Amino acid sequence: MTTNKTNKFTVPIGPQHPALKEPGHFEFTVDGEIVTGATARLGYVHRGIEKATESRNWIQDVYILERICGICSHVHAMAFAQGVEMLANVEIPPRARAIRTLIAELERIHSHMLWAGVAAHEGGFDTLFMYIWRDRETVMELLEMLTGNRVNYSANVLGGVKFDVQQDQIDEIRKGMDKLEERSRYYLEIVTTDETFLGRTRSIGIMDKKDAAVLGAVGPTARASGVERDVRVDVPYAYYPDFPTVSITDNAGDLEARFVVRMKEVLESVRLIREILDHLPEGDLAVRVPRRIPEGQVISRVEAPRGELFYYIESNGTDTPERVKVRTPTLPNWGSVLALAVGHKLADMPMILVGIDPCFSCNDRMVHITNNKNNDQVWSWEQLRQYGIEYYK
Amino acid sequence: MIKVTPLLALLIFPGGLFLLNIGMFYEWIDRKLVARFQNRIGPRWFQPLADTIKLLAKEEIIPEKVHAGLFTFLPVFGMAGALASALYVPLAGFAPSYSFSGDLIVVLYLLSMMTLCLGLAGSNTVNRFSLVGATRTLTQLFSYEAPFMLALLGPAILTQSWQISEINFFAQDNIWILVTQPIGFLVALIGLMGKLELPPFDAPEAETEIVSGALTEYSGRGLALFHVGKDIELVIGLTLVSAFYLGGLANPLEFVLKTLGLLVVMALLQSLFARLRIDQTVGLWWRLGALLALIQLLVVLVF
Repeated sequence: MTTNKTNKFTVPIGPQHPALKEPGHFEFTVDGEIVTGATARLGYVHRGIEKATESRNWIQDVYILERICGICSHVHAMAFAQGVEMLANVEIPPRARAIRTLIAELERIHSHMLWAGVAAHEGGFDTLFMYIWRDRETVMELLEMLTGNRVNYSANVLGGVKFDVQQDQIDEIRKGMDKLEERSRYYLEIVTTDETFLGRTRSIGIMDKKDAAVLGAVGPTARASGVERDVRVDVPYAYYPDFPTVSITDNAGDLEARFVVRMKEVLESVRLIREILDHLPEGDLAVRVPRRIPEGQVISRVEAPRGELFYYIESNGTDTPERVKVRTPTLPNWGSVLALAVGHKLADMPMILVGIDPCFSCNDRMVHITNNKNNDQVWSWEQLRQYGIEYYK
Repeated sequence: MIKVTPLLALLIFPGGLFLLNIGMFYEWIDRKLVARFQNRIGPRWFQPLADTIKLLAKEEIIPEKVHAGLFTFLPVFGMAGALASALYVPLAGFAPSYSFSGDLIVVLYLLSMMTLCLGLAGSNTVNRFSLVGATRTLTQLFSYEAPFMLALLGPAILTQSWQISEINFFAQDNIWILVTQPIGFLVALIGLMGKLELPPFDAPEAETEIVSGALTEYSGRGLALFHVGKDIELVIGLTLVSAFYLGGLANPLEFVLKTLGLLVVMALLQSLFARLRIDQTVGLWWRLGALLALIQLLVVLVF
């Protein structure tokens, strides 16, 4: 293989690649097996949901925003609903808050187990992948039992929740939690003791506390580097003020720590779910929210399974929002991937990429440049056409 | 009649048709076992055959900037090597079709030809995944080959012959060599897994990193031939190891029981571990595998 400074050997990963579950493009410059440079290009799955919200009314927006992410769908609807309730000055009943939190935590379990399976697959440990996904079915079935759906639960309405939790469902959830707790403990043991797996995760992709803070990492990625960043703890919302959760951190900062943090978070979620079920408040499920939301701006933050989910909502007093801005946790985490990649082996790239639990379609946004004078990045249609003709000549 | 027999040996048994079928059958057993260990259903019994037929029926795309001749004939050479080696091993428990003093070395070389062809096929293309895959394939070849060879030399030295059929007879008459040379058996078994690029030694074709390694650019006939060649290598490898270490292969029943038993162990090992990086593979073989094989040889030579 020729590797000198003028003739760089680059290995492209994506837009279509077996390691990626969604399209994204990464180019790794390698020297033999060692990566010497990394670049990312995103934006293949831009869907224009932010713009779409502006032509739909507030209630319809709950459903379209829920479809931003196919894994953590509930938190999107929850963040939006919370923001709108703040704008409308509505206090939702305690039982609704509890059920929202309950589903959010169930979703966290499902998301973390899904990630653990995918990450194990990237490391070539398919047996672990298959086992984790089998046990993940437990929580998927619980979510289906509660809401009727496995993916987009549609549990939220503006002003509360749609579904109540019955006594027999509580019993089922408790049973499921027992199983999940046992299995999660087992997987925690596997990821910290299995020799071949540790060979792929221990001391790989180390990000220290300072780097994590500087690069702006969020969620389990930051917490695995010892940065205590958890919206549930920092600015409790929904039912977290009543039943606080513990922020789980690990100081190692490597891939193993990310497994450990996520598995421990599953255990913490199990504890929290049991506690919520023990103290489920009585009362209504929802209150009325006006069709037209008063003028104003609001920022709503929740802790998605992948980290901080940020919503900015602006209302102009009509029945449609003026602007909805969503920043998903994957975006702030990208920096850490590109910084970590350099110096590692090509074989570690898929695991480092997946280590942040990326969700490509959630974070893809479009930039529209309004002032295009004297800007060589902005091309007119005629220029583009000419470029195309020249390119294929 | 005399003139028909060599042709039969080449085309029907043990070479040719029989080998192709049993190769694909063993591939299915391997896949099914791994699937069951992983809590999956696994493929149906004719899946490898169906895949092969489908691939053979498809167009073979020869990419730009490759040597077309090499691209076309490397799969043929690789498979021919694997097929030819079948003539010297006690396949199905019958005496080898051909046998001469020193055929063990020939068989080992013929088996390596497959890997060599794979490496060449990868480096023939300009595809970057193929190139990385080819580098890894050849790196892996250099790491497992020596320990694997040393591990097969143990029984040969014990028999004082380099002839596979004689080692087979010797193994039948004596206590299983597995008992007297356990380390050698272990190295041979794991060496076989490295040779076949089975997990955890599948870094050369790690799909999450380099798509399909050296075979990324292959489609249709070439891909089918490489796959079938690997299946044949699996059968021959299992035959060799069980003839040497598991008390020889005296009849078809013994062949089926012993090779399948070995396959179960191999499937279990495949599903137990995470994939090793290529540097870990090399480290494992040279730091541990080669050393163990040498110790085993010393033990054999001294006693």
